[in-house]
Amino acid sequence: MDSPSPAKHVFFSPARVWAIATNTLLELFRLKVFYFLLIFALLLIGSSAFMIEFNFQEQFQLLKDVSLGSMSIFTWLLSVLATAMLIPKDIEDRTLYTILAKPVPRFEYLIGKLLGILLLLLISTIVMSVIFVLALYGRQQYVLAETMRGSVGMTPDQIQENLREVRNATFTWSLIPGIIMIYIKAALCASLTLFISTFASSSIFTIMVSVAIYFIGHLQGIARDYWLGSATTGALPRVFLALVALIFPDFQLFNLVDDIVAGNSISLILFAKTAALGGLYTFIYLLVSYFVFASKEL
Amino acid sequence: MSAISIKNLTKVFPIPLRRERIVAVRNLSLDVEPGQVYGLLGPNGSGKSTTMKIVLGLVSPSAGSTHIFGRDSREVESREEVGFLPENPYFYKFLTGVETLHFYGKICGLHGAKLRDRAAELLNLVGLESAADRRLGGYSKGMLQRIGLAQALIQQPRLLVLDEPTAGVDPAGSREIRDLILDFKKRGITVLLCSHLLSQVQEICDRIGILHKGVLVREGQLNDLISIENQTELILEGATPEVLAQIHALLDQSGAHVLAERRPQTTLEKFFLEVTSPKN
Repeated sequence: MDSPSPAKHVFFSPARVWAIATNTLLELFRLKVFYFLLIFALLLIGSSAFMIEFNFQEQFQLLKDVSLGSMSIFTWLLSVLATAMLIPKDIEDRTLYTILAKPVPRFEYLIGKLLGILLLLLISTIVMSVIFVLALYGRQQYVLAETMRGSVGMTPDQIQENLREVRNATFTWSLIPGIIMIYIKAALCASLTLFISTFASSSIFTIMVSVAIYFIGHLQGIARDYWLGSATTGALPRVFLALVALIFPDFQLFNLVDDIVAGNSISLILFAKTAALGGLYTFIYLLVSYFVFASKEL
Repeated sequence: MSAISIKNLTKVFPIPLRRERIVAVRNLSLDVEPGQVYGLLGPNGSGKSTTMKIVLGLVSPSAGSTHIFGRDSREVESREEVGFLPENPYFYKFLTGVETLHFYGKICGLHGAKLRDRAAELLNLVGLESAADRRLGGYSKGMLQRIGLAQALIQQPRLLVLDEPTAGVDPAGSREIRDLILDFKKRGITVLLCSHLLSQVQEICDRIGILHKGVLVREGQLNDLISIENQTELILEGATPEVLAQIHALLDQSGAHVLAERRPQTTLEKFFLEVTSPKN
């Protein structure tokens, strides 16, 4: 059995991380999680049935609302559900033993798992974006044809003006940062769920805690405004709110897409700051995951 | 240098929300020499699996230390030399046999043609070439154990740690795994084996240790431990009644006692394999 010796051990190996990440992606792919993209496509096609009675601005507005809202929900659900099953399942099936009994540091295992999920979310976001753009383009072509039909007796300049109005209301570049922010928020949720799964006893517990934190993260802004705005709020609630704000991200900050769909432009500075905040939270949760996982008795 | 060196190892598990603590392993010391097949035996809950997990760095010791070829088990580098097959492993059901070996090879630093050749070689060794492209979800228990052995060997380790490698496997599959372990021994691979199948342990182990309630109660060369000092066994073939009578007379004269006289029996395993072999 003359076989090759393995490479000398290195402290951090991108090849090992990539092997774990691609294996995680393959696992989710073969579990057919991408089927939810079909539901997304059907949702967009189905929503078109309700659009006929609106004017074209309202039609595009509705389509963007439905598409980007669905993208936000689907990527969040995917990030929580897919991440929650990874580590508990590896422990339950003892697959984790065979991986960590190889020369694989625990932080590489965690990074590989998270990277696999981030790749899955990236592919899903891109595919959903393409479906969204195609749906928007289809709606635009329909409205353009309707505009042409309704322009009998108009001058060529008037017709061109009407068509330009339709085109301008369809695609705007500001949709791109909105979609990127949906991805960043889902990545943050994945990292948070990964952290919970390092100490949780089951996937169900992980999902429940992750969903609870998601809602706390969305509501904490409202609670902060209410309690801190009141002069009668005592020191204890203020300390509690400060702790909540520190531990849980304010998910409302990442909902830039709502403003974008409403037609408000987002400054590059605000986008960059929010993206950096999302990246920072993702990194912090990964780091804390490692501290918990490194001392975990398997 | 010992393949495995365990010194004064103690592992205590605290029980959450209670003051009680469970001592899984108590002051255990033993050495496994290179090339040996060492059987770690004991009833359920005796601390065998905990000891294995500490050796593999999956669990940290409360006191004492474990080393693999001189490297502390807590260092990731010590796992360069180890292959591990856990009890009832599932692996990733969505992967095929060959994909499984490629995955484990990649995390051990193998890649390209070397990895492909190594995977093919191991599939051949464990007799799974024809099932290489089938997903593990469709593998039988015996096939899973064999692919488990192959993944344990992927980086050509000098030490194999096997936890109940034949649990739940039919007698034919069990014998194949036993033959593979004997083959590893011939190749100079050290094996630490945990098993409840004592007849199999007796066949393949050079040395054994018996754990009971976390304490090593017996340890030594298998032959030394199980041989009865003042008795001798003779197995004769073709002896006529006259020859037997002469032997008895001689024994009576010498003052030795015949404790038992019977026809040797085959083992139930051999009998079972004989009647279920494809030749019949």
